Amino acid sequence: MTTEPKTRIRSLDDPLLMVDTPATIYDAIPPYPPRTEREAEFYALREGEMLVNLGPQHPSTHGVLRVVLKIDGERVVDLDPVLGYLHRGVEKICENSDWHMVVSHCDPLEYIASMFSELVPVMAAEQLLDVRVPRRAEYIRVLACELNRISSHALFMGWLALDLGGLTPILYGFIERDEIVEMLAALTGQKLLFNYMRIGGVNGDLNHEFLSRLGDWMAHAGQRIEDSQTLINENEIFVKRTKGLGVVDRETALRMCLSGPPLRATGIPYDVRRAHPYSVYPELEFEIPTREEGDSYARYLLHLDEIKQSIHIIDQVLHKMPDGPITAKLPRLLRPRPGRAFAAIESPRGHYAVYAMSDGSDQPFRLRIHDPSYFNLQTVGLLTPGHLVADTMAIMASLDPIMGGVDK
Amino acid sequence: MNAISRPWNRLTLAGKVILPLLFLLAAMTLLLLVGVALGPIPYLADLAYDTVVANLGIVRFVGSVTAILLFTVPTAFIIIYLEMKVIALMNMRLGPNRVGPWGTLQSTVHGFKVLGKEDFTPTGADVPVFTLAPAVVYLAVVMAFLVLPFAPGLVGADMNIGLLYFFAVGSLGVVGLMMAGWSSFNKYSLLGGLRAAAQIVSYEIPLTLAVVGVVLLAGTFSLNSIVLEQNGSFLDWYAFRQPLGFLIFFIAAAAEGARTPFDLTEADSEIVAGPMTEYSGMRYGFFYFAEYVNVFLLSALTVVLFLGGWNAPFDLGGLLAQVGLTVDPTLAPGQLGIGLLFGVALVPPIVILAIALPIWAFRSDVAFWKALVIGFLLFNVLAVGALMLWATASFEAVEGLIWFFAKTYVFVVVFVWMRATLPRVRVDQLMGFAWKWLLPAALVNLFVTAAAIVVVTQIQG
Repeated sequence: MTTEPKTRIRSLDDPLLMVDTPATIYDAIPPYPPRTEREAEFYALREGEMLVNLGPQHPSTHGVLRVVLKIDGERVVDLDPVLGYLHRGVEKICENSDWHMVVSHCDPLEYIASMFSELVPVMAAEQLLDVRVPRRAEYIRVLACELNRISSHALFMGWLALDLGGLTPILYGFIERDEIVEMLAALTGQKLLFNYMRIGGVNGDLNHEFLSRLGDWMAHAGQRIEDSQTLINENEIFVKRTKGLGVVDRETALRMCLSGPPLRATGIPYDVRRAHPYSVYPELEFEIPTREEGDSYARYLLHLDEIKQSIHIIDQVLHKMPDGPITAKLPRLLRPRPGRAFAAIESPRGHYAVYAMSDGSDQPFRLRIHDPSYFNLQTVGLLTPGHLVADTMAIMASLDPIMGGVDK
Repeated sequence: MNAISRPWNRLTLAGKVILPLLFLLAAMTLLLLVGVALGPIPYLADLAYDTVVANLGIVRFVGSVTAILLFTVPTAFIIIYLEMKVIALMNMRLGPNRVGPWGTLQSTVHGFKVLGKEDFTPTGADVPVFTLAPAVVYLAVVMAFLVLPFAPGLVGADMNIGLLYFFAVGSLGVVGLMMAGWSSFNKYSLLGGLRAAAQIVSYEIPLTLAVVGVVLLAGTFSLNSIVLEQNGSFLDWYAFRQPLGFLIFFIAAAAEGARTPFDLTEADSEIVAGPMTEYSGMRYGFFYFAEYVNVFLLSALTVVLFLGGWNAPFDLGGLLAQVGLTVDPTLAPGQLGIGLLFGVALVPPIVILAIALPIWAFRSDVAFWKALVIGFLLFNVLAVGALMLWATASFEAVEGLIWFFAKTYVFVVVFVWMRATLPRVRVDQLMGFAWKWLLPAALVNLFVTAAAIVVVTQIQG
């Protein structure tokens, strides 16, 4: 059903609208006629139902996600995620910038773990350039990425608890993140958006401050993360609120294109690091932790397991770190061969990929970014209906979307 | 006209307030002098005194209400500061540390900040209800203070239905929350208001049923008498005779005060701030005051009912009296004559100098005036400490007050500790817990207590 709008579409800023309908402008219903069948069905309310705007400014939507909840009392009947509040058109911007600049533009996509979002376009460009990255650079990349994965996971576990009303775990998560961020700042000069990956290598070699901080941290890291998580791991309230909540079975997970911890929590051991090995991961020894339950609690515990594996990887990387150059020799202006390249990595949120096309110029012809947050987030519509309003937060937080990557 | 208005316009806002007040003060002083000289003032004073004496009950009531109203403000400030600082320490943060020593004035500054904010009413709100709601919430809490025995003889009104009054008035607060939720024209507020109603009404039942055991034991509803019943050693406190009731009461009190893990009414990650979402400025401040005063109130009630109120676990006053800290009843200050004057005038400067000089001499980085300030502050601390020791030894009320506040703040800290540690329960779990677990447990507690009382009275005789 596509209905043509009868009158002109009024902007929400239209002062006339404010005068005509002084109160209803705050409603969740969009000020235009329904454009699709789904929209018409969703915005038609039955007796006792109510629409609630969750976001874009809401304490627990992790950025600027807006979700329109259709609730009956406290129970969520249906929901409609409204995306695009953080849309900057990164893919298009990348088409108009130098290959080197692509790194900085992709950097803030997954801003909690930006090492990953800058590694992927770099890998795609390297495929197009047929350049061999020095082994030391590969090891440094793995080291930086795994550190960033730990910081991201530590923060996730705090966030989940914060959305369930626990004040303290997030700050314990930030203790780890602070130390790692300081480390990476010593390595890269930045704390959030590192801009560390370069096409053909990395920006700087390991330095004394980084290594001494890393050594200090490694001495106690695993034990302390586990200790701080005992606050919520077996907390009766936490377990009761997350166990059996937002259960995804394997078929649904594959159908909804889930990846990362939400997928592995259903029992499918898919990890890009093993499934489509890249960098030096084939030389490293680590397990892919999985859980069978597929609920929020399993997702939470899986993050803890992955942190342990990451620490294990860092340990090996530090032992195997070879000597040598940290960047390949490349011209200042890059003109890759015309063609296509696909690079995928395992980011903290799952399968992060870039599909790049080059026409032989110094700018990418097309750069398509596959962000796992977007695909993980789309299960919210399946998981939430039937649960309570409070569970919406727990489910969304356990999927761990980063809106920078979702809206691009 | 211009000659007056120009200087007036040049005044700052503070000046515009202070200048008329100065004139007013001058005029009133003049009137007072004239009145005393010509006679009407002494006459009016006599009249006022007679009126007060004739209506002592009313005066006592008004006096206690004023005292309680004044008492709630610092209590809320202290608990807000305590919560900020204790949670910060549990989070391994520093917490407030800028305003005042160790950030102690932080909550006062928050209070002033809230006072200075715009008082905003949203479009579409039901204005009279919206305006009244914070007052209802605050007054419900404050009025419940009236029957709380702080110390021997220090109780607003010793009603024989004190406990009933407490629960009746205390649960009026939910009406205010409902009003706020309904009138705000906000769906989050509405959800929060309904949650508050459901939660507080549900938890009222186990709360009152847990208390009935205590009432059976004490044989009275008067809180003062319940405290007096627990006189003796600390083994006479009802917590030891009603352990289950104590537990149920504390859990239900946490829910009643909407504290974590039962803070669903203002679950910030779900419904933003519940009924308070649309409030700003001092109206919002009233909600917060009410919440923190309620924490104190529920802790105090726990102490009164189960932990002996102002009864001392051991006889501190007697101990101090034995050391010789009591006042000598034969000593009248007037007998000291000029010695009193010298003592008051000379002792403080000498002690201050005695503290300040070593600090100045041994710490090269402290200027002399700073050493003097430190000495002055330390002297004050010493003087207040000495005075408190003396008062504790001499007056039963002071000792009772100290024990009462010590016990109460232990429970306040437990509430804060719970807030730092626990996540929030879900609304269906909350209801299930109240009706499936707390209510049966409270009933079992009640029946066992009643049966035990019957059996014991039969055996005794």
